[in-house]
Amino acid sequence: MKQTPVASINTVAKRLVGRGNLVITRKSVRDSLVSVAALIGCQVRDPNGKTIGKLVDIVVRHGEETYPPVSGLIVKVANHKSFINGARISKLTQKEITLSSTKINLENYQRRPGESLLDADVLDHQIVDVDGLQVVRSSDLYLAPLDKEIRVVGVDISFVSFLRRLFPALIARRPTPEHVLDWAMVASLTDSTGVVRTSSSKSALSQLRPADIADLIEDLAGREQGALIEMLDPDLAADALEEMEDDELESLLRGLPAERSAQLLARMEPDESAEVLRDLGSEHRESILSAMEKSVAKQLRELVSFDEDLAGGIMTTHLLIVKESDTVASALKLLVENKERDSSDGVVVVDAKGQLVDHIQTVELIAAKSSSSVLDLVAKPFPTSVLIDTPIAEVVEEFSNNRGSSIIVVDEKNKPIGRILSDDLVDALSRSRPRGFSKGSGVLS
Amino acid sequence: MSINKMVAKRKIRLAAFLAVMGPGVIAGLADDDPAGITTYSQLGTQFGYRMLWTLVIATAALIIFQDLGSRIGVVTRQGLIGLVRQKYGARAGSFSAVSLILANLGTMTAEFAGVAAAGQLFGISRYITVPLTGLVISYLVLRGTFKKAERVFFALSAVFLAYIIAGFMAHPNWSSAFKGMVTPSMPLNHQAINIATATLGTTLAPWGLAFIQSYAVDKRLTRDDLKLLRADVWVGSLLTGVIGFFVVITCAATLNKEHIFSITDASQAAVALKPLAGSLAKYIFAIGIIGAALLAASILPLSTAYSVSDLTGSPAALDDNFQEAPLFYSTFAAITIIGGGLIMIPGVSLVWILISSQILNAILLLPLLSYMYGIAKDKKLMGEFVAKRSSLNIYGSVIALVAVCVIAQFWFLFHN
Repeated sequence: MKQTPVASINTVAKRLVGRGNLVITRKSVRDSLVSVAALIGCQVRDPNGKTIGKLVDIVVRHGEETYPPVSGLIVKVANHKSFINGARISKLTQKEITLSSTKINLENYQRRPGESLLDADVLDHQIVDVDGLQVVRSSDLYLAPLDKEIRVVGVDISFVSFLRRLFPALIARRPTPEHVLDWAMVASLTDSTGVVRTSSSKSALSQLRPADIADLIEDLAGREQGALIEMLDPDLAADALEEMEDDELESLLRGLPAERSAQLLARMEPDESAEVLRDLGSEHRESILSAMEKSVAKQLRELVSFDEDLAGGIMTTHLLIVKESDTVASALKLLVENKERDSSDGVVVVDAKGQLVDHIQTVELIAAKSSSSVLDLVAKPFPTSVLIDTPIAEVVEEFSNNRGSSIIVVDEKNKPIGRILSDDLVDALSRSRPRGFSKGSGVLS
Repeated sequence: MSINKMVAKRKIRLAAFLAVMGPGVIAGLADDDPAGITTYSQLGTQFGYRMLWTLVIATAALIIFQDLGSRIGVVTRQGLIGLVRQKYGARAGSFSAVSLILANLGTMTAEFAGVAAAGQLFGISRYITVPLTGLVISYLVLRGTFKKAERVFFALSAVFLAYIIAGFMAHPNWSSAFKGMVTPSMPLNHQAINIATATLGTTLAPWGLAFIQSYAVDKRLTRDDLKLLRADVWVGSLLTGVIGFFVVITCAATLNKEHIFSITDASQAAVALKPLAGSLAKYIFAIGIIGAALLAASILPLSTAYSVSDLTGSPAALDDNFQEAPLFYSTFAAITIIGGGLIMIPGVSLVWILISSQILNAILLLPLLSYMYGIAKDKKLMGEFVAKRSSLNIYGSVIALVAVCVIAQFWFLFHN
């Protein structure tokens, strides 16, 4: 390990300084990195130095800790793959793996939930580089002693480390930590059970913007896509899903279990959820809706039933409605209660019959006396409203005539049932633009 | 216009685009590159209608594996080489990449040979045409204007559709042609094995397999697009086969009938178009060759470079500069320079290069097809699209067939 080219690691370390407590920046860790790729195939010995077998794979346990500890080794003993518990490792360096006792229990390895095999599941597989916002392949993984256990601390994504592994053992066994990402800054997407719950990558991922996460999701497919979604906080996942391309989202939902889709769609803006549900087809749609809370499902069913080229088909049903007689204070309270999910910039005022009276902006409410009634604030200009079956072309016209940022959608009795924000309109119009095959890197025609 | 209609219109436009110039059709036409036309011409000239069945099998194999490639690309969103690395490890990944690079290098050399041969029909030396081609392609690709140019090449190579008319005008013996398609028979000699292997290698080209898969990945095609993509792949592959068929019967009805049994240069191959174009035949032939060669030559280095960056796992884009994607540009440059350089060796036989590069293709197909087979049956990777027993049997038979050809090839090589 003495030959470790510390210089290149230092460059990485410098880049990562200030990113909190990343262990790869610690000198003690840098000086004791053990390459997993170089370790596979090594001899495993007993305390007397007698060879027991060859290392086939390393099992790690993902839990709440940032750096997953080694929970065992898979060793080939006399042509039979056996599991050796991690507690029996007395020494693990680049040159030798020694066990603590001569007596070993040879058991068959059974994959347990939350465990993954470093060689079979992680090495050469795709991982998400949260820092660089891209999907990359791991060329090598590094172990180091940390908090009394041997843990995975870093991922090497360099080409040099990949090339090294092609050579005979003499060269291949020499680690070349070139471009190492701290394990806390990556999200590993593969394991045997489908779910890797690494708290670290969860927190690293939670720092990202939903649009960036959407891009990462779109770079992946199948199991990896599912695994990334699982790692995300549901609210963040829902935000990211809203940013995805329509057909990408549709294809993603086809691959997810109905319960998971239901959970995410319920958290998305109702109009966005309704749009993708409409595209999914009735069978799949019903299986998702039936996994939802009844009231949410009912609302979405109604939205889905609207034609998507009418106002009802693109509106969001999330409205904050107050009565004329309510006080300013209660209106403000309603706004605060809904600050999490609502992008509304004010409240809609209705009369005793529930008919639309006005839309009052948050600023007006703040400026008013909190004990006064909402009715006192009702004044010109009155909001633009359209009927639920207004064609989108007319909605666009209304928008450009009135220069507002939203339009209220009412039913035939003039009761407000939804709003169309300008971004909903942008979505609806951009959907109609032919996409062709213009996506991609441009490398291939 | 209603959104519904607009969406529907988008789908239609997409379908229209795919039908006319989708990756499957591009790969199909680029498959009828100089090497393809020469191999098919040789097949018809040497053996008449007798070995048409090899083309039928090769076309079926092309459809089957292009279809598989597009499915793997859409389902896994990973390129072939990257997947091999993930599933079989670093060494296997590199081995598959080297196989692909060698095959593509051979085919690239063949494209230059085609341009050189076509140039000679106009009386221009290959020492002018080859470097010029290299420069033109590099310029178009690096300037990013090759997409427009590609359409021109595409149109030029469509000249080969002339073979279909020429085929009818040459009054071929249709019943012999039909018999040749359905009754497998061949003389058991080195020449026949050579041409059968080259036919497999040029039709089921390695680069096409990697290209279709990377295309699906790069354009992020979804499972909904898969139907269209598969239709496109079927059309493109059949197009390759149909053009190939008419090349073979045209040569069988003209050259072979006139007891010319081997093609040694391009002007001979062009004679086959005489019934159609008379004295213009060789120019039409030359234009088609140049178009197809440039079409393939503008995709080949890029597709190769894409696969290499797929191996390393660092996605490359054309708007990256050299510092950002050194491997990408190095691969591109190496393929172009070596390919062109080989043709500049004085005295090298162009027809020999054209056909032997396709035999090389067939040899290198073996590892690539086998890896695709392994990926196709991997439930973890393919999910619900995992190949059924019956499909696996078909893939296996194609691989076995290629293996038999390659083994026979080596047997004759060492027993003559």
